[in-house]
Amino acid sequence: MPPNLSAQGKHAPSDDRGLMEKSTALVQNSHQDKPRVAGRPESRPDSHNATFADMTFWDGSMATVLLIEDDKETAQEIRAELGDRGYVVDWAADGVEGLDKARSGGAEVVIVDRMLPGMDGLTIVQAMRDEGVRTPVLVLSALGAVDDRVRGLRAGGDDYLTKPFATVELIARIEALLRRPADSRDTVLRVGPLELDLMERIAKRGDRTINLLPREFRLLEYMMRRKEQVLTRAMLLEEVWNYKFVPQTNLVDVHMGRLRHKVDEPNELPMIQVVRGVGFILRAPA
Amino acid sequence: MRRPDFARTPTFYSALTVASALLLCTLVLFGLVYRQTTAYVMSKYDALLVDELRVFASNTPGQLLQEINDRLLKDPQHIKIAGLFGANGSRIAGNIEFLPPGLAPDVPTNAVVTRLDSGERKAQNVRVAERALPSGMSLVIGRQIDEITEIAQIVVRTLALGLLPAFILTILIGMVLSRRVYLRVMELNRKIQLVVTSDLRERLPTSGRGDTFDQIAVSVNRMLGDIESLVREIAAVGDNIAHDLRTPLTRVRVRLERGRANASTLNELSTVVDQAIGGLDQSLAIITALLRIAEIEHNRRLDGFGQVPLGPLVREIWDLYEPIAEDKGIALRVNSTDEATVYGDRDLLFEAVANLVDNAIKFTPEGGNVTLALLSRENGTVVQVKDTGPGITEIEREAVTKRFYRSDKSRRIEGLGLGLSLVAAIVKLHGFEFVITAGPGCVVEIICPQVH
Repeated sequence: MPPNLSAQGKHAPSDDRGLMEKSTALVQNSHQDKPRVAGRPESRPDSHNATFADMTFWDGSMATVLLIEDDKETAQEIRAELGDRGYVVDWAADGVEGLDKARSGGAEVVIVDRMLPGMDGLTIVQAMRDEGVRTPVLVLSALGAVDDRVRGLRAGGDDYLTKPFATVELIARIEALLRRPADSRDTVLRVGPLELDLMERIAKRGDRTINLLPREFRLLEYMMRRKEQVLTRAMLLEEVWNYKFVPQTNLVDVHMGRLRHKVDEPNELPMIQVVRGVGFILRAPA
Repeated sequence: MRRPDFARTPTFYSALTVASALLLCTLVLFGLVYRQTTAYVMSKYDALLVDELRVFASNTPGQLLQEINDRLLKDPQHIKIAGLFGANGSRIAGNIEFLPPGLAPDVPTNAVVTRLDSGERKAQNVRVAERALPSGMSLVIGRQIDEITEIAQIVVRTLALGLLPAFILTILIGMVLSRRVYLRVMELNRKIQLVVTSDLRERLPTSGRGDTFDQIAVSVNRMLGDIESLVREIAAVGDNIAHDLRTPLTRVRVRLERGRANASTLNELSTVVDQAIGGLDQSLAIITALLRIAEIEHNRRLDGFGQVPLGPLVREIWDLYEPIAEDKGIALRVNSTDEATVYGDRDLLFEAVANLVDNAIKFTPEGGNVTLALLSRENGTVVQVKDTGPGITEIEREAVTKRFYRSDKSRRIEGLGLGLSLVAAIVKLHGFEFVITAGPGCVVEIICPQVH
C-alpha cells in the first residue's frame, strides 16, 4: 500500500473508504493483464486504472502553498482540497498581503488569482520576479481571454489555469511545479527498466528495444522526465504538442494508448497508468 | 428665483457678455466724443474772448462804453455779456450785476453771473475773461455756455436713441439663439434619456444641415449602433449558452437519477458519477468554447500575432491527428510543399486547422480519406482540408458560412458543434477567408491572402 494512503483515508469520509481500498486493490491487481484493444484506452481493463487518491504524492506533500485568492468560497475549497493532500496552505485574501507573504519566501509554490480587488494578479507575479523571488507561480483566471495565458506566462507565471478547473487538474499542476524536472544534461533517461537514449533516439525496456515514432518518443521523454507524477491531458497537450486548447476528440488518450501498447507488453508490469478522471502517470513497476 | 431654461445656456451667457461689452465700448466712445467736442468749442470761445478783450481794452473809455452797449444791442439771443466795473467793484456799464469773483486777468474762466438785460435778474453759466484797465476799472467780456450743456444733452439723447435699442436687440437675439440651441439640446437629451431608460433602437435626430449638432448626433448614433449590436450579441451569447447547455445538463440529470435509483454497488455508482462528471465537463467545455468564440470575434487584441510558418503547423496537426484517423480506419494525408509564412497567432491558427481536421475525421466514414494540404494559389496561401464524408449540403453551407456562431441553424446541424464557429471567428480575426465547397465530400479552405 502506498505510504500516505492511510493518511488519505483519515481525511476521507468513511463512506469513501471502501472505494479507496477497492481502487488500491485494483492497482495492486493490475499485474495480471488481459489482452488490450489498441488505441482504445476506455476499453482497457480496469486493472490499468488508478484513482487520484491512489497517487503516492512524493514527500513534497508537506510543502507550503501560498494561495492569493479574494473569493472566500473558492479559497476555502482549494484549501480543503490541498489540505487533504497534505499541503500546508497559507491564504492571503488580497494582493498586498499576498505579495508580502510571497516576498517572505515561506511558500514552495504560489497560486495567484488574476482578478484581485484593486489589483491584477499578474502585478504580483511581476513584482515578485522583479525582486528576484523565484518561487514557482500558478496563475488562476476566470478570464477566458485568448491571449491571457500568453500574458500570464510572459509576466513570469510558470503555469496558467482557467476557472472553472477540476481540482485534480490544479493539484497535478502544483505537483508539476513543485517537482520541476531537473534541467538534466543526461542524455539517457531511466525509469525502472525503461531507458531512453536521447542521443541515439533509442528506447529500451530491459533488453527489449521499443520502436517509437518521433511523436511517441517525445511523449515518453516528457513522461520520463516527470516520472511518478500525475500528468493531465491538458498538461500533455500543452507541453508535448504545444496545443493550448482542449480539443473535442480524446487526442491524448489515443496517443497514450499507442505508447502504452509499446511500453507495456502483455507479459510485463504496466508502467503507464491511467489515473481515472485525471490523466496518466509513469512509474517504475513496484 | 429660477431663471428660464434658455437663460441658463452658454449661448445666452455669450449674448449677455457681448451686449455688455458693446454697451461699455459705446459709452466710452460717446464720452470721448463729448469731451473732444466741448474742449474744442471751449477753446474757440476762449480765443474769441481774449481777442475781444484786447480790442475793447484798446478803446478810450468813452468808446468803450459805446462799444459795450453796441455789443449788447447786437445780441438779441442774450448770448453775450459785457461789463465795466469801478475799482471798488461797482457796476458802471454792461448787463451783469456784479463782477464775478475769482477771475484771473486775461484768462477765460467759467463763472455764474446775474444778467440784467432780459428785464429781470437771471443767473447764467458763462465763460468770462477780465482785464484791469489803466484807469483802475475792470472790463469783463463773456458769453453764455449753454451750448456745452446742450451738447451733453444731445450726446445723452443719441445714446438713448441708439444704444438702448441695440442693447435690447442683442439680448433678444441672444435669447432667440439660446432658445433654439436649448431646444436642440433638450431634444437630444430627451432622446438620450429614452435610449438610457427604454429603447436602445432610438436614434438622435439630425437637422440635415451638417452642423456641429448633427455631427455630434451622427457620432452618438454610431456609438448607439455599436452598443446595440453588442447588447444583442451578449443576449445572443446568453441564448446560445442556454440552448447548448440544456442538452448535456439534461443528460447528466437523467444519468444521476437513474444511477441513484438503479446502482446497487459502489462501483456502479462511481461509474454513474464519472459519466456525470464527463457530462458536466462537456457543458463547461461548451461555455468555454462559446466565450472564446465571442472573445475572438469581438476582441481585437493581437498580442499573440507574429510570423507563423504554415508548413510545420500543418505537419504538427497531422502528427497529432494521424493516430486518431488510423484508429477510425481513415487515411490522413498531409501535403505541405508550400513553405508559406503568414502573419497571425500561431496557437489560434493551430486550433482552427486542428478543428477542421477533427471535424473531417469525425464525419468521414471508415475507409475514407482526409487530406490536409497547404497550397499556393494566386490569391494567396490556402490551407485545405478535404474529406470523403457526406459533405455539407448547400443550404447548410450557407447557414454555416453566413454567421457561424450566432446562427442557431448551423449549430443545430448534428455534430457540427462549435468547431466551425470557432474556426470562422479565428479566420475573421486574421482577415483571412473561410470557404466551404462541395467536393466529393467536403472541402474547407482557409485562404490567407499574401500581403506584400
